[in-house]
Amino acid sequence: MAANNLLLIVTVFVPLIGAVVSLFFWGRDRIQRRIGFAAGVIAWLASIGVLAAAMQDGPQVYRLGGWDAPFGIVLVGDALSSIMVLMSSTVLMAGLLYALGCHDKVVKNPAFTALFLGMETGLLGALFTGDLFTMFVFMEIMVLSSVSLVAISDNKLGLEAAIKYLFISSMGTLFLLLGTAAVYATFGTLNFADIGNQLAQGDRSILAREAAVMLTAAFLLKSAVFPFHFWQPDFHTTAPTPVHAVLSSVVVKIGVYGLIRMTTLLFTAEGELEAIRTVLLVLGTISIFFGSLGAFRTYDGKRMLAYSTFGQIGFILLGIGWGTPLALAAAIVYAFNHAFIKSALLMLFGVVSSRTQTKSARLTEVAGVGRSLPLFVGLLYLLGGMALAGIPPLNGFISKLALVQSGIDAQMWLTLGLAIGAGILTLMYMTRTWQLVFQQKPDASTAPLKTYNDSPLAPALLIAGCVALGLFAAPLAELATAAADQILNAPVYIEAVLGVEPAAIVGR
Amino acid sequence: MNLVFAITIGTLFALGVYQLLRRDLIKAAMGFALLFTAVNLLLLAVGAFDGANPAYTDQGDQPSDPLVQALILTAIVVSFGSYALLLGLVNVVSTRFKTLRTDDVDQLQK
Repeated sequence: MAANNLLLIVTVFVPLIGAVVSLFFWGRDRIQRRIGFAAGVIAWLASIGVLAAAMQDGPQVYRLGGWDAPFGIVLVGDALSSIMVLMSSTVLMAGLLYALGCHDKVVKNPAFTALFLGMETGLLGALFTGDLFTMFVFMEIMVLSSVSLVAISDNKLGLEAAIKYLFISSMGTLFLLLGTAAVYATFGTLNFADIGNQLAQGDRSILAREAAVMLTAAFLLKSAVFPFHFWQPDFHTTAPTPVHAVLSSVVVKIGVYGLIRMTTLLFTAEGELEAIRTVLLVLGTISIFFGSLGAFRTYDGKRMLAYSTFGQIGFILLGIGWGTPLALAAAIVYAFNHAFIKSALLMLFGVVSSRTQTKSARLTEVAGVGRSLPLFVGLLYLLGGMALAGIPPLNGFISKLALVQSGIDAQMWLTLGLAIGAGILTLMYMTRTWQLVFQQKPDASTAPLKTYNDSPLAPALLIAGCVALGLFAAPLAELATAAADQILNAPVYIEAVLGVEPAAIVGR
Repeated sequence: MNLVFAITIGTLFALGVYQLLRRDLIKAAMGFALLFTAVNLLLLAVGAFDGANPAYTDQGDQPSDPLVQALILTAIVVSFGSYALLLGLVNVVSTRFKTLRTDDVDQLQK
């Protein structure tokens, strides 16, 4: 039985402590935001430590209160969850850095830092936890914090989007709870490893099918995949820029993570797995098209990027749906790279729209605004757009390459062809907005621009990360391949959490 | 007793879904509360798993499963938090829009 790894608890709870500490500085927003950034940096460093340990010695475990696995709550950092946590904590740290140089009114709100760090705790905790019910609790923390952040947004429409999302995400939570009940009735446990262990012994499956349906619906809703996507563009577009960057790039990945866990550990029986994968492939393909066309047609820059996220999640679902080791590795690489590209692009658009009087990102109002900004901002936007479309040598190319390779490997010609077609649409809408914002001459009739804008430091660092991940792609690809091997080899996970050889303990 | 319990849960789900689909934010929020109560009762019922007695009967000598009760307590706290936030947002909407009809709270569509 592996010893407790303290870094896991540091990653999850330092943001929570930071949130509480920041509340003591009520009304002094600069200090609060610095505390927030410091907590983000500590969580980021700890998540690097967890990833290093997970790659070296296998899954890391922390048992809360010293209770052993099926009875107590465990945090598990295996390769998959450590990679996802590193991705999330990096983007969250960049979001907190952006908030330091942001001129929106919302970042001066005394609750802003606490809510942002609450969102971080919920997200990282949901990725690290080893049982279904704790995942539900952490996801609720994340949802409530993000709803509050959008409701206090500078954009007046935020309130309406927040109430709409709270209703819809509560339905997702309801499905998750129903799935939890079905899982408990079937297995008598909620621990992922214990469920996997009982499945390996071919144990009963009274309600397993119902549980699979409920959990798939819940995770698809959290990721905003096709039939459940309608809330996403409204909710994300009205959010404050640093929050939007986090929501659209990493918060939607929680559903992706849950689906990977479901298809590799929880529902691995023949018929169920095939059914879930088929659903993911069909919905993923539809999402790619709806998202790309929506992004092409829309009237608002931030909304365009939100639609684009909706399409990119479809690509990741294709990887999960193909389900080969190569495809899973490609899905992980895709998720990781997309988080960097999308958050950087959203922050750059935030920088642009912070120049306008109304802080709007409507394409009619931001036309030509980019010409008043330093030249490198336009260059960064172009780099990010090319990365999103998958032009070499940027990291978007690496993730598209990995996905196409795995598609050829899995012999899925139809979905593959559709996916490549959608990539061309991405290139079209990104170059169109770049030209509109940074090349076109400003319209003389529009209101005068502000003389200051948000600091472009955070997106510059993220784009630098994109370029580095594109030029030196081998380490990430190796990590993802190792992670895919590890998650497809469920006994490793089960042994690390339960501390016994799989199938050695008898189900209760 | 099991039958009564099943009918109660089913009725609560039906009522909750009906309320949730009405065109009034307060009524929809009520549906939300009803649905979460229904799920909590469902969690209590799945404690009857594998021969153990559920908490609402006193037949047999086997004690009921304590874990589901712990789960319900947590779920009650969490759903209470979301319900409070939801009612707070409904309150702000009512002062800003001077109405609670969902058809009239529609600035996002414009």
